Amino acid sequence: MNVAEAGAAAAPVPAPRVGVQFDRPDRRYAAEQELAVRYDVAGIEPAAVRALERSVVWYTEGKGEEDLGVHRFERLEGAARLAEALPGGTIAVRLPASPLSYEGVVVKIRWCVRVRLFFASGRDFVSEHVFDLGTVPPARGAVERTA
Amino acid sequence: MRLPRFLGKKRGNRRTGSQAWGSFGEALFYAALVAAGLAFAALLCAGGVDADTAGSPWARWWLWLFTLLIPGALLAFGGAGLARSIRAWGKSEERRAAAEGIGELFDTPGPDAAPAADLPGVPTCEDLVNSPGTILRYRLPLESPEGWTLLGIGLFAALWNTVLAVLAVNAGVDLWSGRVEWVLLALLVPFLAVGAGGAAVFVRRFVLATAVGTTQLEISDHPLLPGGRYDVLLAQGGAGALESLDLALEMEEVASFRQGTDTRTERVVVWRERVKEWKEVEIAPGVRFEAHVTITIPDDAMHSFATEHNAVRWRAVVCGRPERWPAFERVFPLVVCPGRIVSAAARAVEVPA
Amino acid sequence: MTGTAGRPVGNPFSTRHVRPGALPALDSRGRPRDVAALLARLDAVGGSAALVGTHGSGKTTLLLHLAAALEAGGRRVERVRLRTVADWAPLAGAAWRCARGGTVCIDSWERLGRLPALLVAWAARRVGARLLVTAHRPGPLPTLLECATSPALVTALVARLPRGDAALVPGAADVDAVFRAAAGNVREALFLLYDRHEVRRRGPAAPAAGVRS
Repeated sequence: MNVAEAGAAAAPVPAPRVGVQFDRPDRRYAAEQELAVRYDVAGIEPAAVRALERSVVWYTEGKGEEDLGVHRFERLEGAARLAEALPGGTIAVRLPASPLSYEGVVVKIRWCVRVRLFFASGRDFVSEHVFDLGTVPPARGAVERTA
Repeated sequence: MRLPRFLGKKRGNRRTGSQAWGSFGEALFYAALVAAGLAFAALLCAGGVDADTAGSPWARWWLWLFTLLIPGALLAFGGAGLARSIRAWGKSEERRAAAEGIGELFDTPGPDAAPAADLPGVPTCEDLVNSPGTILRYRLPLESPEGWTLLGIGLFAALWNTVLAVLAVNAGVDLWSGRVEWVLLALLVPFLAVGAGGAAVFVRRFVLATAVGTTQLEISDHPLLPGGRYDVLLAQGGAGALESLDLALEMEEVASFRQGTDTRTERVVVWRERVKEWKEVEIAPGVRFEAHVTITIPDDAMHSFATEHNAVRWRAVVCGRPERWPAFERVFPLVVCPGRIVSAAARAVEVPA
Repeated sequence: MTGTAGRPVGNPFSTRHVRPGALPALDSRGRPRDVAALLARLDAVGGSAALVGTHGSGKTTLLLHLAAALEAGGRRVERVRLRTVADWAPLAGAAWRCARGGTVCIDSWERLGRLPALLVAWAARRVGARLLVTAHRPGPLPTLLECATSPALVTALVARLPRGDAALVPGAADVDAVFRAAAGNVREALFLLYDRHEVRRRGPAAPAAGVRS
């Protein structure tokens, strides 16, 4: 699965590449459905990784400040645990019933799988992979409020 | 108008009931300030300014300044706080945010409603289903109950104008006895403007409230579900004729952004459906207008959502255009849950066919 | 330092792209500010100073960049955002932690009130903490820089934001229009560009404005 690179100006050297494969190719999931994601990390020296965090989160986007909700979070540290998670691993979780993905005008809700790598140098690198929860259509735009 | 529950219980990380004591304490504090202001004014007016012992009128200017400013400030601060406390009385954070708008006060949380059980980001509708309807299951609360607002404004206007009257009488007595207290007269002008403004706002709202009458909305079930159809009873009291009365269903997005000294809240209605409009409505005294309608939530509707800075709100909006009075709008918050949901009260809800 | 990959661009004018911490520090002509020179000037005026400017002129953005540069130089830095006078407690804590040479970076200094501000400045001097603040008007602290804006600044910021659909990128006319409508407030101008982006993305049928308070 290709990942669109965005805003990676500050990416550490060497730049990690995190590829993910969702069990549903269209990345659309129903509420309370199981999600399974296979990720692979390339372009790093595993020994240089101090910790890895993998999470399933939702966040808001738009004209307000961002709010974040964590549905699943896991931090892996230590050689033995990192060996299980690098260079690749699986995230499997049952999704909740809400909040559903939403493409509003000033409020948008997005779900994503995050893989965050912490390097011994102190830098970190986060890779996000958006998916949809539910099938709420995008808002059509602002409408007049006056009756 | 429901009384606060003083004995509440803790539900998860949410509290109920004790907020009423908080509001009570707050109201008490502001009431004490108002009382102090009144006492201060009375004291100063009764014996604080002695024309014979205080020297020339220009030397006594500071006495009049204290007479007006200190009690005035106490009354203004206490009255405003009291009005705010009364407005917030018994409301959940969600409802207060709905009434005030997110971020109007720096330390007021946004629409950070406690989420419904097992529904992250979905506000609970607990406060919307604790009032039974007379015909249908629930009576929906107003977003901003007018009674409390009216009471707050009335209280402020009464207190302010009482002090003003005492000062004005004092000034009049001085004038009658040939003493012209120019500083006092000059200071009375802005105080008079505030007093007159407060009284005018109160009278206008009072007349509107009594002439237009109350609006009540009852609903057959709550929370609502996408694809669901619900019976709604609209009841409009008052006396007189309305050119039109209409009921609409709205979905609104609210986003707040705080940075530095700038706080902005943006509200956008992204979906609106007029449920029904009634033309030429005649309301006889003592007999309220009643109408039954059915509302339908679209199958693919976005559910209600509320976090600290962002919200998606559903609401029923009643707009009326009286023949003799300005138009009014009354808003009733609703909660739409994602489909196949169990409500906060853990009762099973079936999507009506 | 965090590297990122994978987020869709979405609306390039959404908060996550245009919040002060995400925007570069540019001068009124849209050129990168010389942060090192500003830090040298800050040292020259004694370590405490104010960034002065109107709403949306880039004070907070610059404050955050200067704070990061101070930290990168090994200095102790505390960031405080004042909302009400009640925030004096975290401010006092930050000043205490920055005693003997650290810098407290304070956004919205005026919220403290004139007298408390004088007291805090005095107390900070006593414990050896430096203050770097944002304010709308010059005050008791020396002015490090007066922030100003121009359409060129907005153009330069837009050029540095993530690119989504090329057809939706605002042109010079858009920038001029929003700059005028926002009366020079860059933050407001970027929010207006957000609205334009949404309208264009959804098609001409969608009206632009919501209700703002």
